[in-house]
Amino acid sequence: MTHPSPAGPAAPTVNASGVSITGLNKSYGANHVLKGIDLTVAPGEVVCLIGPSGSGKSTLLRCVNLLEVPDSGTVTVGGFEATDEDVDLNAMRRHVGMVFQQFNLFPHLTVLENCTVAQVKVLRRGKGEAAEVARTNLERVGLAGMEKRFPDQLSGGQQQRVAIARALSMDPQLMLFDEPTSALDPETVGEVLAVMRRLAGVGMTMLVVTHEMSFAREVADRVVFMDGGVVVEEGPAAQVIGNPQQQRTQDFLARVLNPADVDF
Amino acid sequence: MSQDQPGRAPVPQLDADAGPAPVAGGDQDAARPGGARRRRRLSLGVQAAVFVAAIIVIALAVDWQTVGESVFNFAAVAPMFPDIILVGFGNTLLYTVTSFAVGLVGGMLLALMRMSAFPPYRWLATVYTEFFRGVPALLVFLAFGYGVPFAFGVQWPIPVVVMASLGLVSAAYISETLRAGLQAVPKGQYEAARSLGMPGWRAMVTIVIPQAFRLVLPPLTNEVILLTKDSSLVYVLGLAAHEFELTKFGRDGITALGAGLTPVLVAGLMYLIITVPLSLLARRFESRSSRGSRS
Ligand SMILES: Nc1ncnc2c1ncn2[C@@H]1O[C@H](COP(=O)(O)OP(=O)(O)OP(=O)(O)O)[C@@H](O)[C@H]1O
Ligand SMILES: [Mg+2]
Repeated sequence: MTHPSPAGPAAPTVNASGVSITGLNKSYGANHVLKGIDLTVAPGEVVCLIGPSGSGKSTLLRCVNLLEVPDSGTVTVGGFEATDEDVDLNAMRRHVGMVFQQFNLFPHLTVLENCTVAQVKVLRRGKGEAAEVARTNLERVGLAGMEKRFPDQLSGGQQQRVAIARALSMDPQLMLFDEPTSALDPETVGEVLAVMRRLAGVGMTMLVVTHEMSFAREVADRVVFMDGGVVVEEGPAAQVIGNPQQQRTQDFLARVLNPADVDF
Repeated sequence: MSQDQPGRAPVPQLDADAGPAPVAGGDQDAARPGGARRRRRLSLGVQAAVFVAAIIVIALAVDWQTVGESVFNFAAVAPMFPDIILVGFGNTLLYTVTSFAVGLVGGMLLALMRMSAFPPYRWLATVYTEFFRGVPALLVFLAFGYGVPFAFGVQWPIPVVVMASLGLVSAAYISETLRAGLQAVPKGQYEAARSLGMPGWRAMVTIVIPQAFRLVLPPLTNEVILLTKDSSLVYVLGLAAHEFELTKFGRDGITALGAGLTPVLVAGLMYLIITVPLSLLARRFESRSSRGSRS
């Protein structure tokens, strides 16, 4: 897409850390959602997670920062054994930024406060320092000058970029994105993808659930296709999207790349 | 002050056949089909005619001489002052404020219990809430006013009886209000806060509760109005003169002053001095929170 990328200064390179998931299982009652997932994301790598609705992509992502507690298996993030009973989850989550499909900005706080509240309350940064960090990150996502607005005064694309700036303000070493553009109007999708593209460009480790195949093909180092709670196929983007080996991957891609063919 | 909302979408255009127009705002119906407009005018005319007719009937039917003597006989109620204000109004306020304080603290406690992971707390809070929402407040007054001295041989001062009775009853209602408010804040808010590394209590205090608070302000204000009126129930207990509240003043005035209903009307007006501003306040809170989550 040819959307103008929001202007911003050259972003700092990041202190990246990877993810390693082994034998992950998660059930909701009788619904076995994740069936022994193994997945690694190397520091600085961008991995896109694709798959049909209900295949467990969100659940997997939420298991990485323990918003969902896995039934078995291990998740290691940076130096944190996230699935260890005794791990300090709050300390671990400081290093893991998360961006939600529905933005989940704090509606009672201004844009600036959205980006400073956790810095002040969690990282114990001073108000002035936190505001400075927040401003830098708002500039990175092209939203300088919006500090005093409230979330409901922004477009969807702007809100999602604030959500990214909010996560970045914690200086994360890993960013999780759960369909960050699925709730957006088509004309604002590009500005969010542009921000993510630039984030990938400076070496951020990213695990991205997305239906944007062109983004995955262009930005992802690796694409992982999930279906029915298992990893069906993974590899370089060009291979998984351009030349899938598995029948299920081929069927899925045929559906998303050619929406007209969807059989209901 | 909160009108300045840069970047707000303009008001959507009304579709000409999108259903009946609001009663006020005549400008829009220029664009409306003539039929709907004529019908609306006819309807307004009928309403006005009924209104005028009703006023004429009332004016002719009522014996104004008697009404003047027995309802609006303000000259005769002078002896009620200043005590009805200093004592009655003051006590009504005192009973309301203290019972609301008990209700709020108790309501918070019950709401926390209702949402606790420890099942007995939940059961206890549920039983409490259902009990106190289900029995008349008057019974609770009788229990604390007559039952407690009878059963335990201690007589609480009247203000304490009122505070306990009304406080315990309103705690049941307030807990439901608070619980609904907390649950109305989307789960994603809590998750976003946790994902930023906030501990659970911090996510509640900084992110969830402030949003819930805005949602519960109107119903809480209404609860204060209800308490103001319910404090009148204390009349069933024997009161010493310095414990009288507005209703008691009104009641005694009927027998003592020979001004008919007038003392009751005076007491009623005093209630309105408290409740109408609260009601306006609640409405302001409502329109504020429905417009967005702004402060
Ligand atoms: N909190 C929950 N409680 C019960 N079941 C759940 C819960 N969250 C997810 N599920 C179930 O787990 C399965 C996988 O859900 P998940 O949201 O992970 O899928 P997804 O791949 O992200 O799908 P989508 O593309 O629609 O977002 C679904 O069958 C869903 O109904
Ligand atoms: Mg999902």
